[in-house]
Amino acid sequence: MTDDAAPHISFATRHRKVLLGGFSVAIFFIAWQATFLFVPFNPLFISKPNLILDSFVEMLFSGDLLHDLAVSGVPFLYGFTAAVVVGVSVGVVMGWRVRVGYALDPLMTVFYASPLVALAPLVIVFFGVGVSGKAIIIFLLSVFPFIFNTAAGVRAIDRLLINVVRSMGGTEKDLYLKVIVPGVLPYIVAGARIAVGRGLIGILVGEFFAASEGIGYAIARFGDLFALDKMFACILAIMIIAVVLTEGIRWAERAAFPWRIGQ
Amino acid sequence: MSESHALKADIAADDDLVTPGRTGWQRFESTLYGAGSIVVLLLVWEIVPHLITISAGTKLFFTTPSQIGGTLWTMFATGTIWKPLGVSASGFSLGLVLAIAVGLPLGVLIGRSRTLNAMFDPFITAFNATPRLVFLPLLMLWFGLGLGSKVVIVFIGALFPILINTYEGVRNTDRVLVNVVRSFGASEWDVARLVVVPNAMPYIIAGLRLAIGRAVLGVVVAEFFGSESGLGVMMVQAAGRYQVAVVFAGLIVFAALSLAMTALVQILENRLSRWRPQHAGNE
Amino acid sequence: MSAYIQGRNVNLTFRPPNRRPVRALQNFDIDVNEGEFLSIVGPSGCGKSTFLNVLLGLAKPDSGDIMLGGKRIEGPGTDRAMVFQEFGLLPWRTVQSNVELGLELKGVATETRREVSQRLIEMVGLVGFETHYPHELSGGMKQRVGLARALATDPDVLLMDEPFAALDAQTRDLMQVELLRIWQEAKKTVLFVTHQIDEAIYLSDRVMVMTKRPGQAKKIFAIDLPRPRDYEMRVTREFNDLKLEIWNELKDEITSR
Repeated sequence: MTDDAAPHISFATRHRKVLLGGFSVAIFFIAWQATFLFVPFNPLFISKPNLILDSFVEMLFSGDLLHDLAVSGVPFLYGFTAAVVVGVSVGVVMGWRVRVGYALDPLMTVFYASPLVALAPLVIVFFGVGVSGKAIIIFLLSVFPFIFNTAAGVRAIDRLLINVVRSMGGTEKDLYLKVIVPGVLPYIVAGARIAVGRGLIGILVGEFFAASEGIGYAIARFGDLFALDKMFACILAIMIIAVVLTEGIRWAERAAFPWRIGQ
Repeated sequence: MSESHALKADIAADDDLVTPGRTGWQRFESTLYGAGSIVVLLLVWEIVPHLITISAGTKLFFTTPSQIGGTLWTMFATGTIWKPLGVSASGFSLGLVLAIAVGLPLGVLIGRSRTLNAMFDPFITAFNATPRLVFLPLLMLWFGLGLGSKVVIVFIGALFPILINTYEGVRNTDRVLVNVVRSFGASEWDVARLVVVPNAMPYIIAGLRLAIGRAVLGVVVAEFFGSESGLGVMMVQAAGRYQVAVVFAGLIVFAALSLAMTALVQILENRLSRWRPQHAGNE
Repeated sequence: MSAYIQGRNVNLTFRPPNRRPVRALQNFDIDVNEGEFLSIVGPSGCGKSTFLNVLLGLAKPDSGDIMLGGKRIEGPGTDRAMVFQEFGLLPWRTVQSNVELGLELKGVATETRREVSQRLIEMVGLVGFETHYPHELSGGMKQRVGLARALATDPDVLLMDEPFAALDAQTRDLMQVELLRIWQEAKKTVLFVTHQIDEAIYLSDRVMVMTKRPGQAKKIFAIDLPRPRDYEMRVTREFNDLKLEIWNELKDEITSR
C-alpha cells in the first residue's frame, strides 16, 4: 500500500527526548545566570554558572580537584572491594543454604534497616580519620546491597535448569559457568548500582567529620570559607562521578545481560 | 439455574491456581533460626568481655547489650530522650510530608506527559545518582543550623524515591483500563482517580518505604554536621566522650523509628492491596 | 430509511510517535439494523477493533460519518458499551463494584446501583462472587463480569471485541451459549468482532468479512439458520457450507501479502 511507504520522520521527532532534555538543562543554567541581571548577586550566598565553571576548570588544571578525588578514591576502593568480597560470599551462602538464610535474614534486615551511618562517629573515634576509618564506613554502608542481591539471585536460580544441565551430562564446572554465574551476576551488578550510592555517602560522612583532604573535606571547607564557586565546582565533580558510575553500571547491565531488559 | 453447569467448569479451571505457601513447620523453623541467630549474637557480645581481658584503652570503646539496654531504660525513665527525639522526629516528618506532597503530584504529571518527562529526566537522573549529602554544607549556609536545613536534606533525600516510583507506576498504567473507564464517559480526573492512581499504588508504597530509609539517613547526617539539638547531636557528643552505649542507644532509637514507620506503611499497604494476588495468600 | 448504525466513507490513520503512520480504515461502509447481531471477521490488524473504538467514541475518524439512531457519534456515551478482549476489569475492585463502574460514573444512586448489579450478576451466573476480586476468578468468570458491566448502563448497542479470544475452547463454547441467551433476553444490537468463523456464524444474523489493512467491508453473508440455535447446528451441512464460503473469502486476505 502506498501509505506504508516509509514517511519522512524528522530529526527533531526522532531525538525528541534528548533534545527536550538538553533544552531544559540549558534553560536551567541560562535562567540561573540571568537571574543575577535582575537580582543583586551575593557571592557569599550563591554562585553563578560561569564562576562555577571557571573554578571547576581552574581546580581541574591545578590538580587540586584530582588530588582530592584520589585521596577519597583510595578508601572508597578498599571499602567497596571488601563489600563485594564479603557481601557476595555471605549472600551466596545465605541463598544456597536454606537454614543459613532463615538464620541470617532477620539479622541482616535489622542491620539494613538501621541507619548504620549513625555509627560513623564511633568508627571515626575508634579508627581515626585516615584511610581505615573511611574505608570501614564505606564497607558498612555498601555491603548489604551485595548480600541481599546475591542471596536473591541464588534463590532465583531455576532448579529445573540445574537438572537440565546435569541430565545432559554437565559437570559441576558447567553448572557454575552455564547456570549459576550467569544467573546471579545480574543481581550482583544491580546491587553494585545501589552500593555505589551508599559508598559515596560513606566517603562524604567520613570526610565531613574530620579530615584534612579529600573531596568531602573540600566541600565542607569551601563552605566554611564561603568560597561558593569552588564548593559548587566540587559538588559538580561529585555529581559527574555519581552519574557516570551509576549510569555506567546501568549501561553495562544492558550490554552484558540483554535478556534482563524490562525486569 | 441453567448456567450453573457453566459455572462449575469455570471454577474447576481455577484449581491449578492454588499454590501452596510455606508449611507450618517451615515457618516455625525459619522463625526459630532467625530469632536464634539474633539471641546468639547478643549473648556472645555480652559474654566476650567476661572471657577475654580487654585492655583499658580498648575498653573505652566497648559496650555490651546490657549496658545499651540500661542506657535506653534510663533515657526513657528520666525523660531525657524526649527532647532530642522530638527535634529529630519533627525534622523527619516535616521533610517526609513535604517530599510526599511534592513527589506524588510531580510523579503523576511526568508519568502522564512525555514532554515533561523528557524535560525533567536529566535532573532526576543527576540528583538521584548523587548522594544528597553533598548539598548539606550549602544548605547549612542557606538555612542555618537547625530545623530548616534538616527538613530540606530529608526532603531532597525522600523526594526522589517517591517521585521515581510514582512515575514508574503511572507509566505502567494499563491502556485497556484507561479505555474502559473512558468508554463510560470518564473525565481525565476520573481516569486518574479510578485507574492511574490505584494502579500506581503498589509502586508508590514501595517508594514510600525507600523514602523512609532515606529520610532517617537525612536526619542522622543533618544532625551530625549541622544541628544544635536532636538525637544525632546527642550521639556525636556521646562518641566524643566515649559514651559508646549512648551511641548505640541512639542507633536503636533511630532504627526503631525507621521500623515503626515501615510497619505503618506495611499496614497501609495491606489495607490497600487486598486485591493483589500475592496478598490474598499466606505470603 | 437509513440503518440504525450507519457508517459511510470512514477513514482513519494512526500516527504513532516515532513510527510510520498506519492506515487502519479506508472508505469503510457499514449498515447495522436495530436488534441485529452482526459479526465482523477479518485478518489480524485489519482495523476491525479500530472500528469498534470509533463506534465507542474512543477513536475519532479522520473523515466520514458514523450515525447511531440518526445521530452523529461524537464521543463515548451510555447508549453504547464495550466488552473487551482482555476483560479490562479494574483489579482493585470487586466483582460488584466492577459491574457498577459505568453507573457510578453516570452518578446513579448507590441503592439503584446495587439493584442493577445484583440483577446482572444473577443474569451472568456469578451469584456468590460479588465480593471476589478479579484475580480470584477464572477467565470465563472474568468475562461474565465484563459482560455484566457492559449491560449495567443498559446500552442500546453492545460492542464486543474478540471477547472470548482469551478463553479456552470449552469455556468459549459455553460463553457463546450464554451470550445468545442473554442477547435474546436483553434485545440489544450487537457488533461482535472475532477471528473465528464458527463463532461468527453460530452467533450472528449477518457476518461481515473485512479486507486486510486498510480495512474495508469486503462481503456480507446473511446467516439464515433458525433460532434459537443449539450446539448440534455446528455439524449441519448448511453451517459447514457457510463456513467454507466465508473461509474462501477470508483466505485471500490472509494469504496475499
